[in-house]
Amino acid sequence: MRVIKFSIPEIIFGIGSINYVGLCAKQLGAKKIFLVSDPGLEQAGWVSKIIDLLQKDDLQYAYYSDITTNPRDFQVHLGAEKYLSEQADVVVALGGGSPLDAAKGIALIASNGGQIRDYEGANKIQKPLPPMLFIPSTAGSGSDISQFAIITDVERQIKMSIISRTLVPNISIIDPYLLTTKDEKLIISSAIDALCHAIESYLSKIASPFTESQSLLAIQIIFKNLKPAIETRSLDHLCQLSIASTSAGMAFSNASLGAVHALAHALGGMFDTMHGLVHPVLLPHVMKFNLPSCKEKMAHIGKILTGENKPEYNTAMSAIEAIERFFSTFNINCRLSKIVKDKSKLEPVCKMAHNDACLLTNPREATWEDLLAICEEAW
Amino acid sequence: MSQIKPSLQDLIGIEYIKLGFYRELQEKIIELQSSNLQLDIKQQHLQSIIDGITDVMATVSLDFKITSINRFYYDFFEEKDPIGKLCFNVFRQRNSVCPECPIFTALQTNQVQRQIVMIPIRGKIHHFEITASPLRKSDSYPIGVLILKRDVTLEKEYQAKLYQAEKMSTIGLLAASVAHEMNNPLTAISGFAQGLRRKLPVLKKNLDKSVSDEIEEYLNIILKECKRCKDIVQNLLDLGRIRQQKMTLLDLNSIIIDTVQLIRHHSKKRKKDFIKLRLYKQLPMIYGDISQLKQVVLNLLLNALDATEKKGDIIITTSKVGKELVEMSIQDSGVGIPKEYLDRLFEPFFTTKPLGRGTGIGLSTCYNIIKNHEGDIFVSSELGKGTTFTVQLPIKSIIALSST
Ligand SMILES: Nc1ncnc2c1ncn2[C@@H]1O[C@H](COP(=O)(O)OP(=O)(O)OP(=O)(O)O)[C@@H](O)[C@H]1O
Ligand SMILES: [Fe+2]
Ligand SMILES: [Mg+2]
Repeated sequence: MRVIKFSIPEIIFGIGSINYVGLCAKQLGAKKIFLVSDPGLEQAGWVSKIIDLLQKDDLQYAYYSDITTNPRDFQVHLGAEKYLSEQADVVVALGGGSPLDAAKGIALIASNGGQIRDYEGANKIQKPLPPMLFIPSTAGSGSDISQFAIITDVERQIKMSIISRTLVPNISIIDPYLLTTKDEKLIISSAIDALCHAIESYLSKIASPFTESQSLLAIQIIFKNLKPAIETRSLDHLCQLSIASTSAGMAFSNASLGAVHALAHALGGMFDTMHGLVHPVLLPHVMKFNLPSCKEKMAHIGKILTGENKPEYNTAMSAIEAIERFFSTFNINCRLSKIVKDKSKLEPVCKMAHNDACLLTNPREATWEDLLAICEEAW
Repeated sequence: MSQIKPSLQDLIGIEYIKLGFYRELQEKIIELQSSNLQLDIKQQHLQSIIDGITDVMATVSLDFKITSINRFYYDFFEEKDPIGKLCFNVFRQRNSVCPECPIFTALQTNQVQRQIVMIPIRGKIHHFEITASPLRKSDSYPIGVLILKRDVTLEKEYQAKLYQAEKMSTIGLLAASVAHEMNNPLTAISGFAQGLRRKLPVLKKNLDKSVSDEIEEYLNIILKECKRCKDIVQNLLDLGRIRQQKMTLLDLNSIIIDTVQLIRHHSKKRKKDFIKLRLYKQLPMIYGDISQLKQVVLNLLLNALDATEKKGDIIITTSKVGKELVEMSIQDSGVGIPKEYLDRLFEPFFTTKPLGRGTGIGLSTCYNIIKNHEGDIFVSSELGKGTTFTVQLPIKSIIALSST
């Protein structure tokens, strides 16, 4: 067996775990927090909640929230400038993937200098980052666990993947109670993002027993809990989705992803498409393309999802069908044409996706033409 | 973009861990330790340079507070703990900024200032050459002043003595040559006047008595004034050291007693014991020219008499100073001497007395004589209270003398 690696941050999980934010920050050496979040969380009241908690612990803070979905390079640079001018120390980020990824970028530029694009790729970071404490608010992105930061390069219109163990936050505080303020659409799209993380990492070329168990756990939980979570909004079900998202995060941070995310990054970079919306469109088609290279594993998913035990190919196909069925029970778009109106734009998207780091671990080698074929099928 | 595109191995990243600060910290600590060490060495180097400066050194902040001193400070100043105290307090015992303060000007003009000031320290006036240079932070506005105080009291004294001596000898030579030139016409005048007087009996026969009496009176006046002129000329010649010295072993006390006797004859109008003698009985014999030393005592006594004309008396004291000196002081409780004259007393022709009463060569003569005896003469005086002239002469063993 080859040598593998599995790394995750310290995780504090549970309802009310958010109350530990001040204590944890202090233990990381905080005097003045750099708090990163976005307007949505301000409206939901979570930002002021965090500020209250920090002040209760006599911590000063500087607040930064000029962040959009698909965070931009200049937003990161402005944040880093503010971090330095405020002479802040610990970076606390609250939110979905966007504020969390932006916070990683800010911590990176503040300590290492330069432009964010200088660090595109794997293991380019030379100096340690300020301590990072993340509080995910959407059970989905996994950014609070992962070694990835995805930042949009505005000039080149692409999403850059910055990959480094140094981007793994020091502490991740996961409080499912934060999910109670999410609307239905957001719960669905982040759960499907998490599901996609679970499936792609499970099928990844570098999946290991440690990641596979996490992936399968996440797939099962999401299938079982997403529907009731939306219907009942019970804290129990939201808690389950949170566990699934965290597990999927542990899996993909160590096993990476595949073609779906490669394409999702390209679409996000070119059309600013919301990340979670891409997965239902592409996942089944990518799986069909990948099937020949990972029949056994896909069949294992099928067995878990359907309980059937047919010949391998059929069971694998049943996994894809189960997923399509699952998607169809929610009111979500499944056609690529709704996202990319102009079919001729697909070619540059696929060429760009072909360069994405996520494609490396895709179980089946894919040329940009292969990707284009997948897209055309999904169109 | 190929270098951006990572490999599978990169994604697994076994060789890459989350970077922490431990290593950086460790490197920083080592860096700091070595730069600390270097600073220490530099500091010691600077300290040894500062300790090598033999002047009093101090730095003073913009609000006149002493911020540092070197060890020579303690040789001169009383304050044991001057740091943080006000400079004019510590250095001058004043309560406000000194008007002539070089620090102030240095700060105002942002230029190096030099000044010589007199500062009384434990009763003695010290001359200090003060250099004040503004301390600047990287060539901008000054942040304080560096002060160097060099004690130049000795230099000053030597300089003054040298200057005095030079002046004396040039003026002395000049006076002597003039005196010499005057000697001939004087001899002629007095010679012919004496000749005339010898002819007086003859004249008396041929002339009216009242006329011949008048002539006789005039002749006597001429001769008396000639005598006076000759004395002055003689004095001038003495000044120029033209006369030969006759060195013998002598007792200073008896020279004083002889001279005082002479004076008492001349001043019968005054109280009998207005000159008091306190002579040290075992005063060692010294080697010198009796008539010259008599002249010194005489001149000093005459001056003291003048000074005590209206009130006061005179005390003459002799004593032994250490093993090598005898000392005579002539103290009067007369009018005293204004400070600004003290420096000029020994200059030839310096006098405050009205024309005819004084020529101003008394003290300069004394000075020359004492210097020729390898001795010293100095004065201290307080206006309205009195004056003391002190003469010190070396006791030389006969053996030492005969060998020179
Ligand atoms: N004991 C004294 N008290 C006060 N003033 C003195 C005393 N001795 C000297 N002086 C001052 O010093 C001056 C110089 O003295 P110095 O003996 O050289 O000359 P002088 O007495 O004026 O004239 P002379 O040539 O007749 O001695 C005096 O004119 C007098 O002002
Ligand atoms: Fe994702
Ligand atoms: Mg005189």
